[in-house]
Amino acid sequence: MTELSSRVGEVIEASTVEFVAQCYELYRSPPLGSLVKTADENAEQYGIVYNVTTSSIEPGRRPIARGKDEANEADIYSNSPQLAKLLRTEFSAILVGHRHGAELRYYLPPHPPRIHSFVYQCQSEEVKEFSRAFEFLPMLVGAQLPVPVEEVVAACLRQMSREAEDPHRFLVTAGKELAVLLGNDFNRLKAILGRIRAG
Amino acid sequence: MSLDLTRVVGEVGEMLSRFKAGLNERQAHLQSAIETAHNQTDLKKLREKIARAAWPVADPVEALDCHYPNPPLPADFTVIATDGSHIDVDRHRSTRCYLLNISSVLLRYGADPEAILDSHPRVYADDSELVIAPDGGEGREQLVEGALLGIKRSVEECKRLAELAAELPAGSSSLALLDGTLVLWGLYQYPEFITETLLDKGFLDCLSQIRKLNKDRKLALASYISYPRSTDVIDALRVALCPHESPDCDRCPSGDKSCEAVAGVQDRDLFSALLAPGERSALFIGQSSVVRKHYGEHRVYFFYLRTDEEIARVEIPQWVALDKDLLNLTHSLVIDQCRRGQGYPVALSEAHEQAVVTLADRENFWALVQDSLVEEKLPNPSSGKSQSKRTRWV
Repeated sequence: MTELSSRVGEVIEASTVEFVAQCYELYRSPPLGSLVKTADENAEQYGIVYNVTTSSIEPGRRPIARGKDEANEADIYSNSPQLAKLLRTEFSAILVGHRHGAELRYYLPPHPPRIHSFVYQCQSEEVKEFSRAFEFLPMLVGAQLPVPVEEVVAACLRQMSREAEDPHRFLVTAGKELAVLLGNDFNRLKAILGRIRAG
Repeated sequence: MSLDLTRVVGEVGEMLSRFKAGLNERQAHLQSAIETAHNQTDLKKLREKIARAAWPVADPVEALDCHYPNPPLPADFTVIATDGSHIDVDRHRSTRCYLLNISSVLLRYGADPEAILDSHPRVYADDSELVIAPDGGEGREQLVEGALLGIKRSVEECKRLAELAAELPAGSSSLALLDGTLVLWGLYQYPEFITETLLDKGFLDCLSQIRKLNKDRKLALASYISYPRSTDVIDALRVALCPHESPDCDRCPSGDKSCEAVAGVQDRDLFSALLAPGERSALFIGQSSVVRKHYGEHRVYFFYLRTDEEIARVEIPQWVALDKDLLNLTHSLVIDQCRRGQGYPVALSEAHEQAVVTLADRENFWALVQDSLVEEKLPNPSSGKSQSKRTRWV
């Protein structure tokens, strides 16, 4: 049973390969690269957060600078309490697997998530279970994203390594997998490896 | 064919030339208005003369040139506001209905800031909602559409405001804000039972509910008019300047037109000169016949306010005007709202944003109605005129 406390938002846009979720709380998005999941009655779908945005809920109303006479940022929000209701944080996640029954499958689910499906940030045990195999990496490394893929891959591995029993060993194994996947693209491999060392 | 702007360029130019030519004269009239306001030392005499005037002008409660600085804000306070939009009955369609979208905004400031922004759309299609009928009478019922729908909307906005106000905690200091005027002007053109339904049992009943809430909390009520065009105070100056004891413009003996010395000046021009930023003017009593006849304890007072951006008119019911605490609360909170809202009360501006029904919303609403009719296999005739507007041809 997924805990209510890990529920972070709701799907507002979905396709076969990715979904966009709106966060329940402003700025309370799962971090870049984290493993999230959404569920309907048939399956649980897993995704990796690749982009987070915060903007006005209405495209025609842009935020304006307000803090000229305020001592700190928090004062801006407390002096204009409506701001938290007029802004929203959304995140996009690329689908990297799903669960069918008890079995984890590292390929796209047959159906995209439904609009308004709840989205949960996966907790430690679930991240450990999902990252036992690196079969999700090919989908992530090969994804066409509007953000640098190397950043997302590295962020994902850093996140997962924190839950691993031996983070260093986890990253070394992941690095080996990447070396196979990106054997003919040294620059991308180097970019990712350079970003996971900080783990 | 779209508007051919090239054909009106010349006329716009001529209009501006006339405007420029009148600038000096308007400035002189404004100066005269300022002097007249300062010179009214005998308030009692002026008020008596105003009472004898043949047409309603502002009745000053105190010296015309009084001005009050912005009172201090309470530490914790709340502002509530409502606004509304509607989709009117479309006589070119087979289904007779209208839609009201009433917004509500609550902004709490201080130790525990909070915001609630909401809107409640509702479709009115029941026979009893599409007309207002006299109690027990037949035949004189009035269709709720056009101007009457606008008045009904104002009533619904006030009802929602009273509901919001009722939820405020005991001991709180709050301001309930409406956009525009507190006077439902349009009622005079309808039979008396309309006034009874919409004003006595509607709008004024809501104001009474809000007033009663003052038992255990401080709750002021005001309406805010941005960039007002009114001349009620200038008209009072005209009365002051009139050489006749009982001013009546329709029967003015030719010759003496002293009152023309302030012609063309608006109240906002006068108070722009009399008030410093943050200050409010003297209190005035509105004199419209609908107010005198029906408003009772909610008799409408008003004052002008100099915000950082403009001169605004704030209307308040008598029970706010006569309670110094509520009057000061109104003054300070309206100024504060304007400062937070870049020149316009932020609660009203958010209430507007929540209520607004765009052209696209209107089209989507009628498309929904039409699709539902088709789904239910109900006949869906529409007028030839509406068809012709939707299918344009050459």
